[in-house]
Amino acid sequence: MNEAVRTNFDIKDYLRLEMMPHFMCPGCGHGIALRCLLWAVHELGVDKNRLAVVSGIGCSGRVGAYIDANTFHTTHGRPLAFATGLKLARPDLTVVVITGDGDCLAIGGNHLIHACRRNLDITCLMLNNEVYGMTGGQVSPTTAIDRLTTTTPHGNAEPTFDACRLADAAGASFVGREVTRQAPALKSVIKAGLAHEGFAFIEVLSDCTEIYGRKNDLGESPEMILAQKSDMRPEAFGNAADEPFRPNRLRAGVLVQRDRPEYGRVYRERAAAERAKAKAKG
Amino acid sequence: MRAEPKGEQAAAATRALNVMIVGVGGQGVLMISKALALIGQKQGLQVKQSEVHGMAKRGGAVFSHIRFGVEVWSPTIARGEADALIALEWAEGLRWIDYLRPETGVFIADTRRIVPPFACRSRRHGAPMAYARETPAEALEKVGEGFALDATAIATTLGEPRAANTVLLGVLSTSLDMPAADWLAVLDALTPPKSRAINLEAFRAGRAWAEAARDDPTLRFDAGFVPRARPADAPDMSVALVINAAWCKGCDICVKLCPERCLVLDAEQVAFLKAPHACTGCRVCEWLCPDFAIEVRTAVREAAGA
Repeated sequence: MNEAVRTNFDIKDYLRLEMMPHFMCPGCGHGIALRCLLWAVHELGVDKNRLAVVSGIGCSGRVGAYIDANTFHTTHGRPLAFATGLKLARPDLTVVVITGDGDCLAIGGNHLIHACRRNLDITCLMLNNEVYGMTGGQVSPTTAIDRLTTTTPHGNAEPTFDACRLADAAGASFVGREVTRQAPALKSVIKAGLAHEGFAFIEVLSDCTEIYGRKNDLGESPEMILAQKSDMRPEAFGNAADEPFRPNRLRAGVLVQRDRPEYGRVYRERAAAERAKAKAKG
Repeated sequence: MRAEPKGEQAAAATRALNVMIVGVGGQGVLMISKALALIGQKQGLQVKQSEVHGMAKRGGAVFSHIRFGVEVWSPTIARGEADALIALEWAEGLRWIDYLRPETGVFIADTRRIVPPFACRSRRHGAPMAYARETPAEALEKVGEGFALDATAIATTLGEPRAANTVLLGVLSTSLDMPAADWLAVLDALTPPKSRAINLEAFRAGRAWAEAARDDPTLRFDAGFVPRARPADAPDMSVALVINAAWCKGCDICVKLCPERCLVLDAEQVAFLKAPHACTGCRVCEWLCPDFAIEVRTAVREAAGA
């Protein structure tokens, strides 16, 4: 990956202009997350032809379709599985997974924990809008308690998943979280995740204004985006064993960064050793 | 007061002496007020002191009224009745200048400027600030007797910029008819051991400066003082906002989050730059537009005629 910082970022260089404007609702935070991803890619100087974006199903799954790079729209919950195969076969590519809270934690929960455990060099962007937006606003694993959705008309009674603690406990070597309100900070976290060798899990706190915000009386998109900042409080990122569910106060930034062997490298070394052994046997 | 006109001398003997000390939170307004009150008491006078220091810790304004005399009733000084005004910060001094007695009031100010954030009216690089533009020479023309010195610089050469307040107290000591030994004795008793030596030294430095300035009026202000102007190398930036109406979905984020409030939604619910002159090119709208409909273009403006 090229470390040189290129200036004059123009997002239009990275978009499929014939598909714009995108299909997201007015004020949807996913657009801001997409800008930050492309901004980070631009600053790292990653070639568009060497960038592979894998996305799943849902509002977040559609985000990848607007990127003028190698994009892969896969099945529900499985973008990490597809990305694992892609990265093992083509280690020269920069592989980014864009997934949502339902896609990543509910349908694809198992793929997430194993991707974290395996530590393959993939950057996973989980756009968390706390709801299944595309299918009409059903409750998701990250819906906050007492929130109204189409499947919880009397308020959500289920505890809320803290995806960052889950990823930390499953062994991800990089865990980050940021809100879309802080676009330059979000860009920096994504940039750090892309530069990290190993599995990088980044939770992007996004807003669903049309379906979730309106139902819960959270205001229009400007009010929701302004509220994001007041919800973030500096608080120690606790051990996943202390409190497995999500507290109301969250810490943002790079939460975990640890040194672990990258799976792709380990796999290729072992394969080479096996090949050498077989050759010696003749 | 030394410079009292003769006709008022009889009245001045019975009326109280009024000193105002103004500054910004953290500069030591209250410390020198206390010293001054103790010195007054040492002269066998009644002293009344009142102060306002509400949001002082956040860089807010602090002022203190000190009145001494044979008999003092009210603790506050009326407008136009202060015999001396000590300003630890330049703009604060100008703000209270009308409290000085016209003709006879003594104005003693540090020319050091502490610019509050709200004086920056525009985020443009090198934009003019809403901070006092008077030079010391202009300010001293408005008062009977004035001293404008860079007390912070004097205190810094002594090794402690925070002793600027005591430097100004030293300047004041030459205007009041009280023996220098009393001032030093009070400072010695009031200051903690750690800062005692520096405070006494700062007081002497201020007194020495004032004595020299009394003999030579050209020394009473720093003639070379220039209010901070726009830096010569500040580029003149032109900002242009390009709004792609076809992509805008009218979500209102840019309108509500623009720090300068220069965007509105037009009749078609599309973002529109209502006040182009107010736009500073901060890029918040560009960053937060989920539809990539706003692009901020900045360029260094060419000199006129070039």
